[in-house]
Order: sequence, then structure tokens, then C-alpha cells
Amino acid sequence: MPKIRKTKVEFEGRIEEREVIVEEEHVETWPRGATLRLVGKPTPRVDGVARVSGRALYTHDVQLPRMLIGRFLRSPHPHARIKAVDSAKAEALPGVALVWHRYHPAPIATLEGREIFPEEVAYEGAEVAFVAARDDRTAEDALALINVTYELLPFAFDLESATAEDAPKVLLDEGNWVSREGDVYQRGDVGTGLGDADEVVELTFTTPIASHCCLETHGSAASWEGDQVTVWHSTQSVFGTRSSVADALGIPMDKVRVISDYIGGGFGSKWGAEPYTLMAILAARETRRPVKAVLGREEEHLAAGYRPGSWQRVRLGAREDGTLTLIEHDAKVATGAFGGGGPVIGGPSKDLYACPNVRTVVRTSRTNADHARAFRAPGYVEGTFALEGAMDALAHKLGMDPLTLRMKNYAEMSPSRGGPYTFKGLRQAYEMGAERFGWSRAVPTDLPNGQGPWRRGRGIASQIWGGGGGPPANAIVRLLPDGTAELSVGVQDIGTGTKTVLTQVAAEELGLPLEAVRCIIGDTLPAPYGPGSGGSVTLASTTPAVRSACREVLRQVIALAAVMLGLEDASVDDFDVERGDIVYRKDPDRRLAFARVTAKMGDYTIVAKGARGPNPDDKAVNTFGAHFAEVAVNVETGQLRVERIVAVHDIGRVVNPLTATSQVYGGVMMGVGYATTEERIIDPATGLQLTANLEDYKVPLVTDTPAIEVLFVDVADTEANSVGSKGLGEPPIIPVAAAIANAVFDAVGVRVTDLPITPDRLLALLSRASNAGFSKEVE
Amino acid sequence: MTMPFRGPAAVPLVLHVNGEDFHVFVEPRRTLLSVLREELGLTGAKLGCGHGQCGACTVILDGETAYACLTLAIDCEDREIRTIEGLMRGDSLHPVQEALIAHDGYQCGFCTPGQVMSAVSLLEHNPRPTDDEIREGMAGNVCRCGAYPNIIASVAAAAELMAAEGD
Amino acid sequence: MAMHPFAYANANSLEEAAANLDGETRPLAGGTDLVALMKDGLVAPKRLVNLKTVPGLAGVVAHADGLHIGALTTLSNLASNPELQERRDLAALVEALEESATPQLRHTATIGGNLLQWPRCWYFRNPQVPCWRKGGRRCFAFQGENKYHTIFGGGPCFAPHPSDPSVALMALDASVLVVGPQDRDHRNGFRVVPLAEFFVLPRRDHEWADGYHPVTLLETDEIVAAVVVPQAADGARSAFVKVMERGAWDFALVSAAVSLTMDGNRVAASRVVLGGVAPIPWRANQAEAALRGERVSEDGVARAVRAAVADARPLGHNEYKVALAKQALAQAFRALA
Repeated sequence: MPKIRKTKVEFEGRIEEREVIVEEEHVETWPRGATLRLVGKPTPRVDGVARVSGRALYTHDVQLPRMLIGRFLRSPHPHARIKAVDSAKAEALPGVALVWHRYHPAPIATLEGREIFPEEVAYEGAEVAFVAARDDRTAEDALALINVTYELLPFAFDLESATAEDAPKVLLDEGNWVSREGDVYQRGDVGTGLGDADEVVELTFTTPIASHCCLETHGSAASWEGDQVTVWHSTQSVFGTRSSVADALGIPMDKVRVISDYIGGGFGSKWGAEPYTLMAILAARETRRPVKAVLGREEEHLAAGYRPGSWQRVRLGAREDGTLTLIEHDAKVATGAFGGGGPVIGGPSKDLYACPNVRTVVRTSRTNADHARAFRAPGYVEGTFALEGAMDALAHKLGMDPLTLRMKNYAEMSPSRGGPYTFKGLRQAYEMGAERFGWSRAVPTDLPNGQGPWRRGRGIASQIWGGGGGPPANAIVRLLPDGTAELSVGVQDIGTGTKTVLTQVAAEELGLPLEAVRCIIGDTLPAPYGPGSGGSVTLASTTPAVRSACREVLRQVIALAAVMLGLEDASVDDFDVERGDIVYRKDPDRRLAFARVTAKMGDYTIVAKGARGPNPDDKAVNTFGAHFAEVAVNVETGQLRVERIVAVHDIGRVVNPLTATSQVYGGVMMGVGYATTEERIIDPATGLQLTANLEDYKVPLVTDTPAIEVLFVDVADTEANSVGSKGLGEPPIIPVAAAIANAVFDAVGVRVTDLPITPDRLLALLSRASNAGFSKEVE
Repeated sequence: MTMPFRGPAAVPLVLHVNGEDFHVFVEPRRTLLSVLREELGLTGAKLGCGHGQCGACTVILDGETAYACLTLAIDCEDREIRTIEGLMRGDSLHPVQEALIAHDGYQCGFCTPGQVMSAVSLLEHNPRPTDDEIREGMAGNVCRCGAYPNIIASVAAAAELMAAEGD
Repeated sequence: MAMHPFAYANANSLEEAAANLDGETRPLAGGTDLVALMKDGLVAPKRLVNLKTVPGLAGVVAHADGLHIGALTTLSNLASNPELQERRDLAALVEALEESATPQLRHTATIGGNLLQWPRCWYFRNPQVPCWRKGGRRCFAFQGENKYHTIFGGGPCFAPHPSDPSVALMALDASVLVVGPQDRDHRNGFRVVPLAEFFVLPRRDHEWADGYHPVTLLETDEIVAAVVVPQAADGARSAFVKVMERGAWDFALVSAAVSLTMDGNRVAASRVVLGGVAPIPWRANQAEAALRGERVSEDGVARAVRAAVADARPLGHNEYKVALAKQALAQAFRALA
């Protein structure tokens, strides 16, 4: 029976206490070292053929009869007041079905309390008008015919200009600071920490604005049947989308079905209904034709979110022996015109090391930009770059090995929560990584120091993140008459391999081969609620629910088998399931093949639901990792080559080593891009984004791929949940930039505190540090 | 010397796609990608950027890869167009496809059709590429998920598979 | 933005194509730049003349005056041409071709079109920005975001020329064969223009009817038919070096091409060209002068490299390009030493 309980869930650096309805789990936790048939084995994706054959259908690929295409006219100015919109010519263009804007609004004019076509547009790319037409050409031709009169307003394009004394107002009716005093976390006392320190380092860091660059741009399609709407939405949360669509339209949830079968990347940027979603839905209702609205690549940069840039100052104090006495971490971020609170930049400083005196502050300002969004480990990527860079500087100052310094300050208990962890394998990660990397050995000499312009160096950085997941998450399993099963979970696979791990866990639990379980996700209609794919929670939230549902199915099958074996009076607990057989424990010769039981069922379908249980009380559930980087720096050209990354992660039990390794590759590559080439550049004079494409915004290519070695601690976290697994989506990007920058310091003796590490920055630093004796410029 | 200009309104074109002739009626301004996706329903090639900056639209034209988003459909008359949809023989996968599945050479999969076409073409021209040649040959396809190490491994493994099949 | 509608015709001959060209009728070769410009609404021709149907425009032919590279030869076909692959004097060109763009673009883009690319400047390419090159009043990069911009020859436009092959071709003393109307300077229907003259620095009086300031002296009714690479002296060698931020698919921060002819162990003649640093491929005359009669020694190279950047005028954010240019050039010399 369901019960109401309180449980703590960590999501992107914030601990939430949720009051949730949970059901008793009927499942015993898989112990460490359990012999499992499918779980833990490298398993190619169950939807591999669809993905490699072009048959996988993404939101972009939705094509319905008589479908219209929707497009937005967007503000070409970072801040303006709309005085007039003349859309007569656009409306008269053959093939145009409708044009909506401020003076000819859609039936619903707001989304989440904000006007879709406001008088005051506060960023380049803000929605000004919407056109639905028979095809994309006609829609875009129509946009070109709309005449908008703007009154230009002063703008603040970045953190510095928005927080200056006489800064222009980002929004006419709001102050520029969202939070001037900031989000503050404190334990102990800064003065005490300083007083106790023998050495202090203080560094200032900046990080760039980074764009998600999902290869499938944001988009939705909508089709109505009577009062029911089906929405295809490229999203990380089909259920979040259903709620937001129902809210926006003011219609019951049962009238809304959301489908997101394949998603071309999300990385934190794709959630509920957005203006394009709502316009597509409303236009579809108005025209009685399906409507699809997807963003172009430029719009994706302008209006689909970003990781905010940051300014950070870190002060560390330590005793001579390396014991930390103080971590002080001040950050400022700018999150756009409507950005709200900043990311949890102080998270790593709060929790990565045992330190009695810690103070973190994150101040948030508005800027004339679209709102910042979560981007793969929001806050932790930025904060870890600064904290772990400062730790490296501290190690250097103390004359200590950077790894030794980290071990010295190892937090056995959760520093911010005070209690123990369910499991913490960071020490193992350090040890495994150091061993594999050869940390204690000298720098490899095949690219020798002193010969030619290249210098080699090595660095480390470590990481903490949540990823423990929690309720609510549900699963439904149907056992079909031929002994195969359908598994339905209310999640979506944004590329992490969710569908495959869910299938593995169900097949494992049911004792079926992988092929005998069909997993249905990415659709709100067949499934009970499942969480959004964020905070690295999907696997840890849903796989226990899958186990629970499967267990209930087995109970029912066993009950039938008992009858067939003439053991009506035996308890279900008297039976085991072994390789497709139901076995009577007291007399193992009395057994029945699973398929023989289901064959007896005729068209009766066994259906069972499972739910995720609560998290353990008073224990922190976290994931950890350590990265070791080797780089080569050309002291003449300032070019940086990331040559090797050894990445070790503790995520509890690894359900699918094949796809888990892929996650780490992906996080490392995204971290390499963040550290070396990616940067949104905005023109100070016009406030326009100069890098709103994939030529000037430089994501890494296959040619930029270092040798990446992936290791997992792979010890089941048996206190976390019944599967023993935690999430991995975000952790592998977190330590990358710091490990690389620390390796650059090792190579050439300059501390890079501003990302990305491009030749212009590195050359400037190198020429400033020419007294170090390595500058071999031709002079 | 006045030339016989066609358009700007829609004109009839014949496109040879995956060994079949398709008759379409499109404006000269239509790109090959838009015609493949919208007129022929071949949605394997994706629109990722529209400017030849991502590679998701990669197809094979007369034996060599090209970005369908920068190619005008009207420029493709009398050319052999191969798309991801023409790669499988019945239910059997091309070795590049098999290798990508085995080595998890993708994540979200959106760039995958383009990656597959680049790999197929690379191996047709260079059946035993070195690691560097694979990187150079695949440099025109962005994978934002960062599956690159497995893409490299997949192409290398596909080369092995094809060599074994050829024996 | 959707491309403006246009009409399209296949050309049967260059003469026919040229006779039909004007400001509103443009030639189409590989289209990798033109189609992108049209998609952004930066150019909107009413008609396109497809040159790919003109017989004999693709391929490499040896003539008495050197190699004639048909303008419609794709970058990939040119790079894999056996004659080019073998000749050490042409090594710079092969390297420049191989380091350009991506396989897909090299399969599509033509050598003629590559020389005729418009700047990749992020202000020029932004339809919202009325920059000088597009007929506006000023260069937005000059006092704006200019880390990728010029350190030589800038003003009124400070966008660097994007082509890698042009840098190598200039070092190889190449010319282009231009077809145009008989009534102008086209004896026998064509004129031969050395690349050094073909590329023109930004000039206010050099303007097309649509207000754009072109990067070459090509008029809107002219077509590049071929690139002519003259026969080099015996023993000539060349090298090309490109510095990028990514491992590929990146325009040059800086590139350098050097072609050397030796007399014993001394430099008889050299051509030194820098890319990514000026509105056109930038001939480093002072470096060439500094090398004449010298050995390619560390000192000699250092002098030449210093001379090459002596006149550099970096902007607010691209001082580093001076150091990069020196290093790229030094690397090119090292490759030839």
C-alpha cells in the first residue's frame, strides 16, 4: 500500500526534502559481488539498429499530412521597445496560415507568467512574431515581410557591464541584481580559517559562456484530435512537458500526450513547453492542421540557453602539512534577463574536502541575454575549475604533490550534511587513476622537454556530484502469454542509453534474455510518471522501480506455477527463479519452465507496477571521480594539445560498462571543448552574439580527441538503492578543465585562470612569464 | 547567347537516389537536404546547422561525401545520390553500422547517419585507414555527445570486418 | 532565413556563361560559400549560372607556361592529383589543400571558388551588421571583437582572407586566367592576372553595384577559368604551415607558405606569404629581401621572420598573431631546411 514519507533527494547541488508517496519495495538489494547474468555486462544498445540506419525518428523528423511549419521573427536588438508591428504583407503571402505578434496575439499570450510577445524585448533573439505556413520557405519569406518598429534601449551585454555603477537597466522595471548579497553557505569562520593557516593562496578565475549546441535544435510538433493534443517535443522530460502544456493551455492532463522517442542531445537545455511549443500547439488548434516549429542553428544559440560565464575568487588556507583551514569561494554570474538564481558554483567548495571553515557566495545579475539554463553539472563545472585550480596552486606553494594534498583533506563524512555517505569511492578513484596514469612516474620523455617548442605536463582534479536519484519513479511490466515482457517507464533516452539499461535490469530480474523484453519510453500515454533526465538521476531513480515491478510479476507467475506444480499451499518465498525456471526451494526437482507457465495463461496478461523506494535517512548519496590529464603546450604558438585523460569514477554498480564508458568519453570531450575552444563572444558595441553558429562557436572534433582511458571503482552502493547504482551523466565533465589547466601549469609554469585556453591567452601568459626561462620565441 | 533559365518557380527534376529515380517538382532554391527530407521522406540525413558546419546532413554524391544542406537539389540532376536509407541490404547492416552498434559509436544518434556516410565513403576510398586517416576522414562530422573515441574504434573495426568479408 | 528565389541554368561554355553574368546573375561552382551567403540573405542573386556543366573546366593540364588547374577542380581532386603529389616545389599547395575545411567541403568546393571566398569575419557574416565590406560605413571589428582579424593591410576592412590554398598559390607565383566580355581587356576572350594583383586590398573606389567591396579585382561579368602555376626553377621546394584552434575545420589563425629556390646553399629566390593576417594573402617582401643570398640558417631565418612582421599593426585583441606569424613562418622554413 502506498504511504506518504519524507525523503531527501539531491538535485544539481541542492538537497531537497520531498514528501512523496512511496510503496514498499519488494526487492532485496543486489549484494556486492552478486552474480548477475546481464547487469554489469557490456551491452550494445537495444535500439542500435534504429540509430545507425536513419530510422530513429526525432522531433525534427515528424511529418504529418497537411502539416504546417512555424517560425519566429526574433529581435535583432539586445534591448528594445516594440512600437509597431506591420504584418499585412506577410499575412497576404500565399501559403501563410497565420501570423501572431504583440498586436495580433495568439489565443494564449503568456507562458509561465511571461508574455510571449512583450513590449520590451530584452535580448537578441527574443520572440517578436510567429508565422505558420505551408513550408519552411514560405514561413521564412513571410518573416521577411513583417515590419517592426523598434525603439532602441541601452543594454548590458555581460556581467561587468551589468554590475557597473552606472549600468544600463537590463529590464526597465527591475534592478540588474537578482541577488546582490548572494546565495551564501557558511560553516566555521573565515577569520579562524585564516588565523590557523600557515599558507594562503588567492586566485581569481573567469569562465566563458558556453552553448549546449544540441545537434538536434529545440523543437516541437503538435496535432489535435478533438480536445486531445499530441505533442512531439525534443525534451529531457516528457512528464514535465505534459504538466507545462496542460498548465499553459489550462486543460486537464489527460488531454495531453507528449512523445519524445529519440532526442538529439539535451545536456540540460531541453525541458518543458517553450514559446515554440505553445505556438505550435495553438496554431495547430487554430488551423486544424498539425504544426511543427523547430529552431534554426542561430536561434539555438540565441534563445535556447547556455552555461553562464562566471567570475570567481578562491582563497584557500592550509597548515604546513597541507591540512585545509579555509575555503572561501566568491562567485558572480550573469544569467540573462529572466535568469533567476545562479548555479551552485560553491557546491564543490562546500563538499569536496574536509575543511572546518568554508564560506561560498554566488551573486547573480541580469544581462540582456536569453535565460541561462542548466548545462551538464551546472555550477560544479565552473566551481571545480576554480577550486581545483586553487588546490593545485596551494600544493605548489606548499611543495606538496597535488594528489597527496587531496588525500590529506579527504572527507570521510559529508562535510555539509555532517553524516556519512552511503558509499564513497573517491580514494579508490585516486589510487586507481594514479596507478593507471603513472602519476608517480616522471613525465614521459618521448616528447622531451627542452627539445623543440612542445612542453609536456600533467595535472589532476577531482569531483563530487549527486546522482543518487530518488522517488517518485515508477515502472509497469506486462508479461505476455508467450513469456516475453513489455516494460513501460516514463522516462526518455537523451543518448545516455537509458532504454538499454532499463531493459537489462528488467531482463535480469525476470530471468529472461535481453531480446525478450521490449522497453517503451519517451511517451506519457503508456507509462506512469518518470523523472526528467537531469541531475544524473535517471538510472538510480528508475531501475529500482523496474526491479520492483518485475518482482511483482514474478510473484504472480510463481503463484501460478505453484498451482501447476501442485504446491498451492507453498509461499511465494519458497520459490526461486533460476535461468528461466521456477524452482521449489525445498525440492529443487520440482521446477517449471517460465514459458510453460505463461503458455497456460492464454490471453491473460500479468501486469505489475513498481515504485522507487525512499533514499536512506541521514546518509548522503553522492558520486565521485578523479581525472588525470596529460597535455602538450607549444610555447611558440600557444597551442595546447590534450593528449591523454585517465578518468576514474565511482558511481556504485556499473550496469552497462559499454554505455557508461561512452558517457565518460562524452563528458571528457565536452570538458575538453570547454577548456580549450568553446566561448560565446558578444559584441560590446551592438550586443549581438558573434558566435551564433558552429563555425565560430568551436565544439571539439574527432581530431581533438585525446586518448581517454575510463575506469570505474564499480563497487555496488548497496545502501543507496536496490540496484546499487548511481548516475553518471554529469560527473565526467566536471573535473576536465581543472585537470587540463593544472597540467598546463606543470608543463610551462603559468597558471591559466581564464577559459578557454586558446593560443592568444596562452601566448600572452607565456610572454608575461618569460622569466621562467622557457620562452624560446624567435626574437 | 541567352540561356534557358529555369525557375524561380518550381521546376520538374529527376533525382537518382539509392538506385531509384524520383520525380520531384521543386524551386531551384531548394537544397538537396530539404528535398530528400520533405519530398522523398528520407529523414535519415539531418538538418543540424544548414551551413556546412556540423555534418549531420552528409550524403554521398557520385561516390564522395557532401553536405546536402549546402547542395542545391537542382545541382544534383544526373548525379548518383546515396543516403543512409540505401545502405542496408534488406535486414542486413553495412559493416560500418554493425561496428557502430558493437562499439557504441554514438550517443544521441542525431549525427550518426552523417557519421555512417562519412565512414562508408572513407572506407570505400581507403579500406585500411590508419588512426590519423580515420580522424582526418571523419573530421567533417560533429558529434556533440563526444562519442569520438568509439567512432574511431568503430571505423577501424568496420575496416577489419570488410577486409574479412573480402577475403 | 530562406534563400531568395532564383532561376537556374546550366552553362555549356564559359563564353555563354560570361555573357549572361551581371550583378544579379552569378556563377555557381561548388556553392559552399555562395549557398551559405544566400541562406543568410547576404547575397540574393536573381539567377545562377551553373559552371559545372562547362566541359573541360575541371582537371590539371601541363602547358608550356606551367600547370593549368581548371577552376572547377575540386580541392580533393586537386590534392590527390598525382603530379602535385610528386612535386616538391608544389608541396605547399598540397598541404594547404589538405588542411582546408573537411572532406565533405573539399569534395564539393572548387579551387576557383576557394580563391573567390568572401571573408569569414563574424561581423560581415551577420546580416544585422552593416559593415563596410557590405556597403556600410565602417568596420565593426576595428574597435570591436577582433582576435581573428588582420595585422597587416587592414582598413577600411580588417577581415582576413580565409583561403589556405591562395596563400600557397601566391607563394608559387600563380596567376588566374579570367574570362570576360570581349569588349574589355580580354584579348582572345581572357586575361591572365597574377594572384598578387588579383587580390586587392580594401579600397573605397572598388565597389560592385550592390555596394559590396569585393576582395578580388574580378568584375561581376567575369569568371575565373583556371589557375596557372608556372614552372618552378630546378630544385625549388615549398612548404605550408597552418595554425588553428581546433585540430581541423577551422580557418587559419595564421598560415605561412614559403617557396625557395637555392643556389648551392644560398637562397637564390624566395616567395614568402602569410595567411590569416591580412585582407588578402600577404606577401612578405621584406622577408624575401632579407633572405636573398643568405643561407637558411637559424640566424637567416630569424632575420627573415623578424622582417616579415616588422610592419605588423595588430588590433586590440590580436597581438598574439604577430608571434604566431613568426612561428608559423619559422616552422615553414624549418620544413625546408
